[in-house]
Parts: sequence; C-alpha cells; structure tokens
Amino acid sequence: MNTYTYEKSQSLFKRAAKVIPCGIYGHLSPAPLVPPTDYPFYAAKASGSKFWDVDGNEFIDYMCAYGPMVLGYNNPIVEEAAEKQRKLGNCITSPSPVMVDLAEYLVNLISIADWAFFAKNGGDATSFALMIARAATGRAKAILIKGGYHGVSPWAQGPGHHGVTDEDVKNNIYVKWNDISQIEEAISDNPKQIAAFMATPYHHPAFTDSEMPGDGYWQKVEQICKKEGIVLIVDDVRCGFRLDMRGSNEYFGFKPDLICYCKAIGNGYPISALVGKDYLRNYAAKVFYTGSYWFSAVPMAAALTTLKELERINGPDIMIKLGKKLTDGMTEIAKTYGYNLKVTGVPSMPSIYITDDESLMLHQDFCAACTKRGAFFTSHHNWFISTAHTDEDIQRTWDIVEDAFKAIKKK
Amino acid sequence: MNRDLIKANLNLHALLQNFEELTYFDTQTASLTKDWNETIYFSIMGGIQAYIEFKEMKCTFGISKPKRSSISLFFLSPGHCNAMFDGKSIPIPLKGITRIGFLMTDFPNLTKRLEYYLKPTDELLKNEEYLALNTRFSINTAMHAIKILALMDPVSKHSASRMKDGVIMLKVLPDGPAAQLIISHGEFKVLKGEIEKPTAVILFKDLKIANDMINGKIDAFSAAASGDVLIKGQLPLIDALNLILDRVPLYIS
Repeated sequence: MNTYTYEKSQSLFKRAAKVIPCGIYGHLSPAPLVPPTDYPFYAAKASGSKFWDVDGNEFIDYMCAYGPMVLGYNNPIVEEAAEKQRKLGNCITSPSPVMVDLAEYLVNLISIADWAFFAKNGGDATSFALMIARAATGRAKAILIKGGYHGVSPWAQGPGHHGVTDEDVKNNIYVKWNDISQIEEAISDNPKQIAAFMATPYHHPAFTDSEMPGDGYWQKVEQICKKEGIVLIVDDVRCGFRLDMRGSNEYFGFKPDLICYCKAIGNGYPISALVGKDYLRNYAAKVFYTGSYWFSAVPMAAALTTLKELERINGPDIMIKLGKKLTDGMTEIAKTYGYNLKVTGVPSMPSIYITDDESLMLHQDFCAACTKRGAFFTSHHNWFISTAHTDEDIQRTWDIVEDAFKAIKKK
Repeated sequence: MNRDLIKANLNLHALLQNFEELTYFDTQTASLTKDWNETIYFSIMGGIQAYIEFKEMKCTFGISKPKRSSISLFFLSPGHCNAMFDGKSIPIPLKGITRIGFLMTDFPNLTKRLEYYLKPTDELLKNEEYLALNTRFSINTAMHAIKILALMDPVSKHSASRMKDGVIMLKVLPDGPAAQLIISHGEFKVLKGEIEKPTAVILFKDLKIANDMINGKIDAFSAAASGDVLIKGQLPLIDALNLILDRVPLYIS
C-alpha cells in the first residue's frame, strides 16, 4: 500500500510558524500527532466522510473536525439551508426569525429544555452555564471532574497552565469520575458554597480510555444536587447528538438542569447552545452575556436543518452501529497480528488504544501508519463517526489497518 | 511555600551539581581542580544541605552531609544563601578557616567558570564547544530544577500531581547529552544518560535546537510540528514537565 508524503503541508507550516503563534494552535496543533511529520497539516477540501490535504492525499476522516462534522462535509441539505439563509442575510442589526425556530425546535427536542440560548463555541456555553448557576444559587464554587475538559476559559484550564491565575481556579473543586464519596466530601467541606456540578455525560479524557458512568452514578449525582440546591450541568459539547437526540443524559437516564451543546449541532457551522430548565430562565436572562456573531443567522439555519436531519434518520443510532462495526473489525484484525486493541466509550465516538505498550509509542506508530495510508487516526483523543461514513469506508479502513499492522510488526 | 526556600534549593541542588560535569568536560576546570582534595559542605539553618567533593581529579556532588568535610559553610537563612549566589553576601565558615586562601581565590575561579557556561551570550553560543557544554549544563540544571519545583512550587505541584509513574528521557540527537526524569509514587529522581524503554521521550534534532528550546527561545509546539523536536510516548508527562520547566525562570535565570 502506498504511503503519503506532505511536502506542501510542511512548506505551508514553515510560513505559518513565522506569522502565527504555534503555526497551528489549539486542538488542531500537530504537536500531539506522533510523529507530526506523518500527518497532514492543512486541508484543501472536504466532502462526505473524507478530506483531501494540500498535497492531494485523500483521508477517511475519523476525527470529523474534532466533532462538528456529523452529517458529512458539505452535506447538501445543510448547505442548501445555509445558502438560503445567506441570501436573506447573516449578521444583521436584528436577529433573524430562524433564531426563534431553532430555539423552539431545541425546546421540543431536548427532554429537559424549557429555553435555549445561542453562542459560538462550547466554552461560551459552559462558562455561561456556570455564571447562571452562580447567579441562581448565590454561591461561587463548582465541582468538576479531574481530567475533564470544558473549554479554554481560565476557570476551565486548571491550575498551572499559562495565563491562568490562582484566583481563576480557586472556586474549582476537582473530584474523581464515578466517585460519589468525593462529591459528598466536597459538599460537606464546603457547606452551602457549591453552585454547580459540571461533567460530561461520560468521562472521555485525552490519552487514555473513556469511562462510562457506573450503575446509578448519575442518578445519585442528580439526587445529591437536588438535595443540596446545586445546579447540575451536563457538558454535552462533545457527545451531543451522537448518543441520543433528546440529550445524552437520556442515554444514561437522568435529568440535569442545564445542558451545553456545540460541535455536532451545526455540522461545521459555528454555533453553540445552552438549554435549561424553567427555574433557571430568569437567571439566564439576568446574566449579561453576548458576542459579536452570536446572532448570525446562517449557522442557526444550518443547525436547525442539521438537527432535523439527524432526527429524521436517527443519526445517533446510525453512528453507534457504524462505530461498533468499525471497531469490532479493527479489534479482530489486531488480534491476528498479536495486538490487543481496547475500545471504550460510546461507539459513535470511540476511544481506541493498543494496550500492549503502556508508553503509547506502539499505538502512536499504529495511528501514524494508518494516517499515512489514508485513515486519519489520532493517537491521543477519542475519534468521531459521522452518518456519512459508509460500509465502503469501513472496509477500506480495515484494509489500511491490516497493512499498518503489517508495517509496525515488521518495524 | 517560601520563595527564598525554593530558590535556595534550586541554587544548592540544581546549580551546584553542574560542578561534576564541569570538572569532567571543561579542560580549564579540570586543570584548575586536578590537585584539589577538598570537600565543601553547604548548610542552611533549617536543614537544606549539599556538598561538593574534589578528589583525584573528580568532582562528586551530594545533597546530604558528607562523611568528612574540609570546609563547612553555613547560611543563617535561605535568603542568606541566595544572596551569596547573587554575589551579595558571604557564608559563615564553620570549618576550614585555614583554607581561607582557597575560598577567596581558587573556589571563586571555579564558580566563575560555571557562571561562564550557565550565562550564555549569542556570541558565545556560536562556539560549538561552548554550545555543547551550555546545552549539557542547561539540560541537567533544568531536570534538577523540575524535580525541586515539582515538590515545592505550589503551581508546579498541581502539574506534578497529574504525572503518572514513568521515565521521561531528554536526548540531543545523535549522541547526546541525555537525561532522565523518573517519577515514582510522587517521588522525582534525575539521572544522566539514556534508558532503553522510556515512558516518554523528547528528542532534539541537534544541540542548537535543544539549546533554543531549553532556554525558551523557540516555541515547543512549532518545534514539535516541524520535526525539530520529536516527542513520543505519554505526552501528558511531557506536557506537565513543560509547565514546570516554564516556572524555573520565576526563581532563577
């Protein structure tokens, strides 16, 4: 099987590094891709489940832009809706009617939602949720899960990170995932001071396995929050609409007070949302929170169409089945080459690691070998499946996986 | 944690250990110390201690009280010790008063030599031999400083608490120098040289890249992406190490 080279990506990066900090910053930085020189840095175009880099290499994309792509790149239905709205207007002095349509749709779709608020990024939604919880409770502290991710606001980055002060994080209390006793201890140590408990529906940290909630975990958390007057916030930014259209909380059988959405909501158009229960509506109204592009109508039209389409085709079910098929096949192929591939998390966003080497170096070699053959795999983050992935994509991926295992076995 | 206390630990435990390799690699230092038979013991009221022993053309560094010392230098406080390292104070000699000539003349010549290698200029770094030694000392100093900050600096302690057990190896390609930071049950240990199976590696393409990186002249992300620095393995360990490393200049330059 031919392997790719990336001369144009490398050349562009050299230019970028001179004028952009890090060259490519944030979660798209090539730094955690090991080795970065085995990966494409710049995309030229994308369609369906694939993208093509600036060197003309084709990739089946298992990162889906780190989540936003859910119905396929350039999905014609979504693009048509966006184009229709674009012709009418996008960023205008007054909001467009599609904002009301989208809010009504979300309120009907999401089981706990009595209202919806729109912004741009997941971090906008998580920060707003925290502010609402503080406004509603008159308390300052928040219980968060150790290793959880809620965006890049200073409060969300944690102590020790550049530009983050002790004051930024002094109200955070970190507890271990699935550990009720630590939550109870945090509450007992900080009586009437905890405004919120925030967590993702299941724990999906980078560089390690995902962890599902233990039996009764969320139900117990919900019960504790109710008893203690703590606002229960679910950060559904990554999982949202890949587990259950009604909210990932429904997949696990509990009812939070606030849910944060982004990523899959707009199939790549920049929009995020916070939905909440009625009792928090007035507090959401009182917290002043806005942004220059938060009323842009095109992403709202794209989001409305994305959600309708996902609901029509039962998107989460399709992605879960595709992810299961893909990873079951990969696990079998790995076995034939003497490797153990561990798959965790919900199959629509699987975390996959080779367990034969704790240092992850073998796993990094494997992911790089697959990427160089056309299946874009990261070695540090959960992957994403879209409804645009096909059985042909999966078969092609299995062929790539087989060839990659042969290559690393030889190495 | 007292800032002076952390700085004193860095001065005594991260800087002084460089004498071992300075004596070995720098011909001028080797010549200066070849006939020395001295053990200098440093202690600060409250407990921090270190010694450097010069014997049979070799320097040995330790962080305890030596079995015997020819000179014993005492500091009333961590601040007193730091002031000496900044050239603004002198220690109290508890032993070796007869060795005053050595302390006033010979030893300062040695410390000046270390200072020469630890305070580079762009001009000096153009010299290959200087670059090699400055890089070696910078890596060793950085690794020892990380060990100290991981245990003492409140912000670094947060980063260190996220570090799983393992070994991070830094190596300048192709032939070194190399160093290891070993993390085990909350304890940190620094070793020189390579290890066959590290948990995470940072490989610098050459001495210049290593030097620029350790001294904060290039950004780690761009260097990694461009292939100048290869990072591999448990990257969260390297991420935490970098966060701690970036705090070193808050205490010592």
